[in-house]
Amino acid sequence: MRVTNSMMLRSTLRDLNTSLGRLQESQQRATTGKANLRMSDNPTATSAAMSTRQDLRRNEQMGKELDDAKSWLDAADSALTNGLTTLGRAREIAIAAANTGGASQGASREAYAAQIRAMRSELMSLANTKVGDRSVFAGTAAGNAYDATGAYTGDNGMVVRDVAPSLSMTVNVTGTAAFGVGGSGAGNVFDVLDRLATAIQNGDSSAMAAEQVNLVSATDTMSSATAVIGVQGERILEIANRSADDKLRLETQLSNVEDVDIVQALIESKEQETRYQASLQVAAKIIPPSLMDFLR
Amino acid sequence: MPNISSLNTAYSGLAAQRRVLDVTAHNIANVNTKGYHVQRVDLVSAGSTTSGLFAGASKTNGVNSDALSRSYDELLAARASREDASLSSATTSSSTMAAIEQIFPEPGDTGIANQLDQFWSSWSAVATSPGSTAARTDLLAKASALSSSLNRAATDLQGVSDAAAARTSSLAIDVNAMAKQLAEVNKAITTSLTPNPDLLDHRDILLNSLAKLTGATTRPAADGLVDVYVGNRALVVGEYTEQMDGSSGTLTWTNGNQPVNAPSGEAAALAATMTDVVPRYRAALDTVASALVSGVNALHTVGYDRTSTTGRSFFDPTRTTAATITLSADVAGQPNNIAAGAPVLPGPTAPGVLDGEQARAIAKLADSVTGPNNAYKTMISGLAAETNAATSRAILQEQVAAGATRDAESVGSVNLDEEMANLVSAQRAYEANARVIKAVDDMLSFLMQSFG
Repeated sequence: MRVTNSMMLRSTLRDLNTSLGRLQESQQRATTGKANLRMSDNPTATSAAMSTRQDLRRNEQMGKELDDAKSWLDAADSALTNGLTTLGRAREIAIAAANTGGASQGASREAYAAQIRAMRSELMSLANTKVGDRSVFAGTAAGNAYDATGAYTGDNGMVVRDVAPSLSMTVNVTGTAAFGVGGSGAGNVFDVLDRLATAIQNGDSSAMAAEQVNLVSATDTMSSATAVIGVQGERILEIANRSADDKLRLETQLSNVEDVDIVQALIESKEQETRYQASLQVAAKIIPPSLMDFLR
Repeated sequence: MPNISSLNTAYSGLAAQRRVLDVTAHNIANVNTKGYHVQRVDLVSAGSTTSGLFAGASKTNGVNSDALSRSYDELLAARASREDASLSSATTSSSTMAAIEQIFPEPGDTGIANQLDQFWSSWSAVATSPGSTAARTDLLAKASALSSSLNRAATDLQGVSDAAAARTSSLAIDVNAMAKQLAEVNKAITTSLTPNPDLLDHRDILLNSLAKLTGATTRPAADGLVDVYVGNRALVVGEYTEQMDGSSGTLTWTNGNQPVNAPSGEAAALAATMTDVVPRYRAALDTVASALVSGVNALHTVGYDRTSTTGRSFFDPTRTTAATITLSADVAGQPNNIAAGAPVLPGPTAPGVLDGEQARAIAKLADSVTGPNNAYKTMISGLAAETNAATSRAILQEQVAAGATRDAESVGSVNLDEEMANLVSAQRAYEANARVIKAVDDMLSFLMQSFG
């Protein structure tokens, strides 16, 4: 094949340009730390990276919901545990009041009744525990769960949090579930305590006995509510651990897909630089000579 | 017996060698000229060209140096032209795809994927604290940012198409100018007695440029003319040309307003950009927007806001394309109108004021198979793959075109070593012919002296 000067010049320029292009790309990789400078460099990696990023953002969002769920559960848990202690004391006082006899002294009966009333208001303030500006036992209603008369001003709404992919958890207990249903029958725990105090004041032993039974069932109701909350609390801790592990795994995955090994990138960059210089030197040597140099 | 005619013979030799020198000088001067083909003097012995009664017995001899040829291989040149046209097309396609790719900075933290996820997160935040005005206001801000991004992306896509339209317009002007020049060169070639190699080179350069722009092909016609066809229609026939018009954005023939069916070249890639590539991606983006609008609105209209009102839409339901998506008047600037509460089943009954279940359901649209996240991811995957393919094709075609050009140049371009050798041999031949003249002159002058 006949080779001419313009052919050689053209192919040399092309090769130099290609070499320079490769050099530029490897330098860009080393500088940005990204294996793919554009999404089209590796379409499969782009797809994988986008999915992983979405999962990471989801994981972060669920972390926030986990924290919120934890604060709800912790608040309910401590309120109910304290409530159970208070109810236990109330039962002791009820028994003591009953044992004092029907014709007990007025003063000690008044004292017992006053204590019961004090416990009732303590229990009421526990029932109105807040997380942020939300009442923990009020469901999805605004304002307090119970008003001063012991009537329930909340509703039956459930508060649900998405704590893990495809896992949602109810993080509240309504007032009616924890403290009993007011209005009909024995009423809620506040009604019971109210009547108990009145019964003690009046020395009404049959009423006291009836209210003691009611108190026991109110305690049972509160206990089961506490148990439910306790179980949820444990689950939340497990889920939080898993979530942290997931986050680490996703971040590693993302790095594997997107990032370039910096040492490898630097070596490649240096290699391309050397190649480019070699091409330049060769080009300088082959272009000049021609027959003219030898014809004198 | 020395004869005056020997002087003529030697003189024809001198003239021939001077002609060779001229042509060699012309070649050397054009060593770096693009599209130049090496010219050679075709030296033909003069005795062989006479015919008639005195053929064979003729005493006119010497060398005839009128014929000039250029080193040109039609097949290789046509192939190089075709591959250049394909290269032009592939490069234009590749840069269009790169332009579209830059509109979507994925994967990354600044693209629409991130904004979609932040949008869903802010719905979760409202679900968690439905009573918080701050969370609701933040949701409106994120929604607004998302719709602006979609609007902007649609505008940018249209910009790519508009740039192609502008380029088509200037391409039409270039084609028209070249076609006119080609017609004039055709005319000049027919009016000259022997074809002028430089004119032929000029015509080949114009043909190559036209091929790169429109994928034009050539057909030889009578009298050394060349006809140029784009698609099935003639652009240049002998000295007559058609004109193209690109002012409307599409390339059309001026006579009859038919669209130009460019088979290859830049025009073909530009047409594909405007009629196929950009509309496809706009449609894909519109799918994302409409999935967003319909998905969110379907849940939002049955939800309850802070005043227990239902039936509000979140996005304007009449604007479902990426270019037009916007917040509806129901919620814009009114964070309390966001319907976070879900109807109490078997409803519809208004839920508690602090219920956030509808907001939670909307946040879950992030994972929906028919939702905007999935539609967007599909679009981006397609874009990445298509851009990758276009780039690979351009690189491959570049190599093919380089090979074809090299083969054509191998035949046609100037080799300085060859020219140097020619120069030296022409010089020696000239000296030899001059010596012959001197020898005849000496003999004649001796004769004159002897008899004079």
